[in-house]
Amino acid sequence: MGSTGVAHLPAVLPDAPPSNVCGNTTSITLFTTLAPVGRLVMPALFAATRAIPKTLAAMDRLSFISYASWSVVRDIPYNGLPQATRRLRHAHLFFEVHFNGSWAQYIDSSVRVLTAGMKSFWGTSETFPGPLPAGPFQRFFKVHEVDCDHYFCAYPEATVTIVRSALALEQRLDMFAHRAALLQPEAFDAAWYAFLEDAQQFL
Amino acid sequence: MRTTNRAGKTYSLMVLTPIRPGEEGPLRAYLAGLSESPLARVPRTHMARLLVVDDMPCPPERPDLHDPLGGAYLLFTSNFDGSLNAYLSDLVAALEPEAEEIWGRCIGCPRPAAGAALKAYIGRNQLQSGVVFAAYGDASVERVRGALDKRERLTDFVIRAQDMQPAARRKAFLKEFGAP
Repeated sequence: MGSTGVAHLPAVLPDAPPSNVCGNTTSITLFTTLAPVGRLVMPALFAATRAIPKTLAAMDRLSFISYASWSVVRDIPYNGLPQATRRLRHAHLFFEVHFNGSWAQYIDSSVRVLTAGMKSFWGTSETFPGPLPAGPFQRFFKVHEVDCDHYFCAYPEATVTIVRSALALEQRLDMFAHRAALLQPEAFDAAWYAFLEDAQQFL
Repeated sequence: MRTTNRAGKTYSLMVLTPIRPGEEGPLRAYLAGLSESPLARVPRTHMARLLVVDDMPCPPERPDLHDPLGGAYLLFTSNFDGSLNAYLSDLVAALEPEAEEIWGRCIGCPRPAAGAALKAYIGRNQLQSGVVFAAYGDASVERVRGALDKRERLTDFVIRAQDMQPAARRKAFLKEFGAP
C-alpha cells in the first residue's frame, strides 16, 4: 500500500451506514483506549488547544468539517443499581465529528492535511498505527467506531462551504440592500453589477 | 467557571446514561424507527445524535484492552446555540412525547420521564468536552437558515433580473431584499 492517495486503498473499504448520514452530512463517533501516558497528555493537549485556537486552523481550512469534539472518558455518572460501572479500567478518548462527503474521503483528506494533529490527538491511544499510510488508520477508526441509531442535522443539504458562503454573502447583501434604497435606477444598476462581481464567489 | 464545552456561541453537549438491562434492543429499534426527528422541534439544535453503546470498542488483536461497561449506555450529543440550562428546558419540553421511550428506558430516569426531573437527570449525566471545534460557531441555527434562504433567493433573483430595465430591477430588488 502506498503512503498517500486514495487510489492505493482497497476499493471494498466500508463507508458510512445510512444511520450515520443526514443529507450531505456524515457523522463519526469514536472511542479509543488511552495508554496510561494519554491520561496525563490529553488534558494538557486539550488545555493547549483551547488556549491557542490556531492549533485547529488546519482543520478549519479543510472546509468540510462543521463540528468536532474530543473528551477523555473514565468516570461515568452513577445512577444507582443495576448500573454496574462507575469507573472504567482505562481512560478512553471520545471523538465525534460532523462532516460533508464520504467516510473514506474524510479519513483520507484528514490524514494528509492534519497529519500532525492526528498524531497529537490519537498518538497516545492504544493500537494507533500513525496517520499514514491511510489504510491502517482507516481500520483503526473503523474498529473503534460506534454507529448512530438516530442522527439529526438542522440544514442537511448545506455543506460547510455553502453555509460559510451564505453567511459571507448575507453580510454583503444586507449592506448593498441598505445602500440600494438610496440610489436612483441608473446608479443602482452600476452598483448592482459591482455587487454581483463581488458576490459571485459566494453564489 | 469557563466551560470547555463551547466553541464560539455553540455549545457541545455529551450525555451518557445507563440503559436498563434488556431495554437496549427496544431502544435501538425505537430510535431507528423514528421517521421524523423529534430534535427538529428543538430549534437551536445544529446537529445531534442518539446511539446505543453496547461496550467500549476493542481491537480484536488486543483482548487485554477490553474494558467492559457492564451494560449498554445511551449516548446523546448535541451542538446547539445558547445556554445549557435553556437548551435542556427546551429539549425536555419538545421531546415530551418521545422522552419516555428514550430516557425512560435508562437507569435512574425519573417516572414519568418529563419536566424538571428529566432535565436534572440529563444534566446530571453530562460528560465534559475537552476541545470543541465549530466551523461557524458564531452563527446560530436561525442565522444559518436565514443566510441559506437569502443565498437561494439571490441566485433566483440574479436569473430573473437579467432582462429587467434598471428601474424595474431596482424596484424588484428592493421588494425582495430591502428593509421591510
